Parts: sequence; C-alpha cells; structure tokens
Amino acid sequence: MAVDLSIPVLVVDDYKTMIRIIRNLLKQLGFSDVDDAADGTEALGKMKQKKYGLVISDWNMEPMTGYELLKEVRTDDGLSRTPFIMVTAESKTENVIAAKKAGVNNYIVKPFNAATLKSKIDAVFGE
Amino acid sequence: MPDKTHAQVREAVDGLRNKDDISLIDVLSLAETSIHSMKSFIDSLDSKIYSEFREIAEYIQNTKSEIGHLQANDLQSKHIPEAGMELSAVVTSTEEATTKIMECAEAILEADSSNTEAYKQTVNDKMMIIFEACSFQDITGQRISKVVETLEHIESRVSRFAAAIGAEDSDKPANAKEEKRLKRKKEQILNGPSQEGKGVSQDDIDALLNG
Repeated sequence: MAVDLSIPVLVVDDYKTMIRIIRNLLKQLGFSDVDDAADGTEALGKMKQKKYGLVISDWNMEPMTGYELLKEVRTDDGLSRTPFIMVTAESKTENVIAAKKAGVNNYIVKPFNAATLKSKIDAVFGE
Repeated sequence: MPDKTHAQVREAVDGLRNKDDISLIDVLSLAETSIHSMKSFIDSLDSKIYSEFREIAEYIQNTKSEIGHLQANDLQSKHIPEAGMELSAVVTSTEEATTKIMECAEAILEADSSNTEAYKQTVNDKMMIIFEACSFQDITGQRISKVVETLEHIESRVSRFAAAIGAEDSDKPANAKEEKRLKRKKEQILNGPSQEGKGVSQDDIDALLNG
C-alpha cells in the first residue's frame, strides 16, 4: 500500500528551525498538507479542529511534552488511531520503552536524515 | 566553687555599697577579688572544652576566609551572567546561520532549471552565501571556550570551598523550585541529548520497537 501523500501531517516541535527542516523534508517526500505546532497543547488543539493522518512530534517541549501529547492522543477516542512518530534527541532506552508502551508508531532519534524519515513513515503505513 | 566565688564578689560589692566614701584601694580590692573569682572559674573549665571552642573559632574563621575566596558575588554578578550571554549568542548565531543555509537550499530547490545559465548563477550565488554562513562555527567555538573557562573557574572555587568545609552532598533538592523541576523531569523522562556513543542508536531503537 502506497503512502497517501495527500494526508494532512502535523509537525510538533518548539524549535522553528526543526519545523522548517521537517517541513522541507516532507515536501521533498511529496507531502503537501503540512501544519505545525510549537508544543503538545497547541498540537492537541489543532488535532481537535482537523483530522490529521500523521503526527510527527518532538519529545522535549513545554508546557506539554510530546510524551504527554502521545498519551493524551491515545486516550482520546476521536484521536487514538492517529499514526504518531516521535522525532527526538531523547535517546535513552527508557524513553523508547515508555513511548512504545504509550503507543508510538515509530521513533526517530535526532539528528536524522531524509532516508530515515521516509523509511519510518513507510513503516508506519505498512510499506 | 562558683557559688563561693560568687558570694565573695557579692560581699565585696555590698561592702562598697554600704560605704559613703569609696577609695581607690577599695576598688582595687574589689578588682582583685573579681580576678581571683574569675581565675578560679576559668581554672574550673575543662581544658578540653576550651580546646573545642578554640577549634570552632578557627573553623568559623577558615570558613569565612573560604567564603571570601569563593567570590560568590563576583560569580553571580559577572561570570554566570556573562556565560549565559555567550550561550544565548551561540543559539542566536547558529539559528541565523541555519536559517540562511535553509533559505539558500529552498531557493535552489525552487529555482527553474530549464534556463541552465540562470540556474547555474543562482546555485553559485546561494553556495557562496552558504559558505559565508558557515563562518559562525569559528565564533561559536570561541564563545563556547569562554563558557567552558567560566565553568572551570566556578568548579575550582566550589571544589576548594567544599573541601575546606568538608561538605557532603545532600540527596535532597536545593529548593522547592528545583524539586518541582526534578519531579517533572523524572515523570516526563527528560534526559536530553546523549553524549556521542552514550545513547541508543537508531538501529537499537528499531530493535526495541519491533522486539
């Protein structure tokens, strides 16, 4: 099954530079509908307004971390099935285990490249 | 013994009070009685206690001296704010350089490649801007060296102070704010970026997720 490039994607990161990098990478991969949010609270608000086909989120943000966002998403009936990829510099085993337990679909450690982003998105959509 | 000396001093003072005319001899006599009474009191003190008090006094004096060497006000008003400003400048310059490089990359990606000459010129121009933007690395290196120098300065003073007072690390947070911060860090598993080779690799993460 090919990845549907028209799905709305939400990029969540508190660093504008990182948002810009991921936006550009997604654009190169063919995604055209990309929104962004600066932390988990803003992301959750946007997710309740618009149905996203994929969330790519950083972990370390305030006031709501990506980890909190993931847990909120997974416990919300309307959002729980949203594919969620964590893109973070948090690279301790306990982080990966906690994210897996919370229901993350994939996990990318920063710094990363376009090929890694593409392969993880493909994996999430079963390619 | 103290009761006896106390009684002797009181008797001498009462004797003077009852006299209309107090002579110098009377005063000297009282002084002598007082000195005798104090001597017996001091003699009665355990020499070990005296030695303990002396050690405490020396310790207090040394601690005061070490606090002076710590130059806490200098650290707080000069060194730490300067280090903070250097780090802010590093963040700003790296952000500016990254933005310039990304703008160039975006311009190249969006450039019309059908006109070969114009496209080549655009690529060349943008590449020059990218090279210029990369010069931030030299300046940030110097700024970070200054911050490292400040940290070493603080480390040496704090280490000296800790050694001088025989400080032992407390396992409790310094204050309520610190306690709250540590609690949140633990709950949210915020470890921050790992040092080179210390964190798990992308391959390890994939194995953990798929295992």
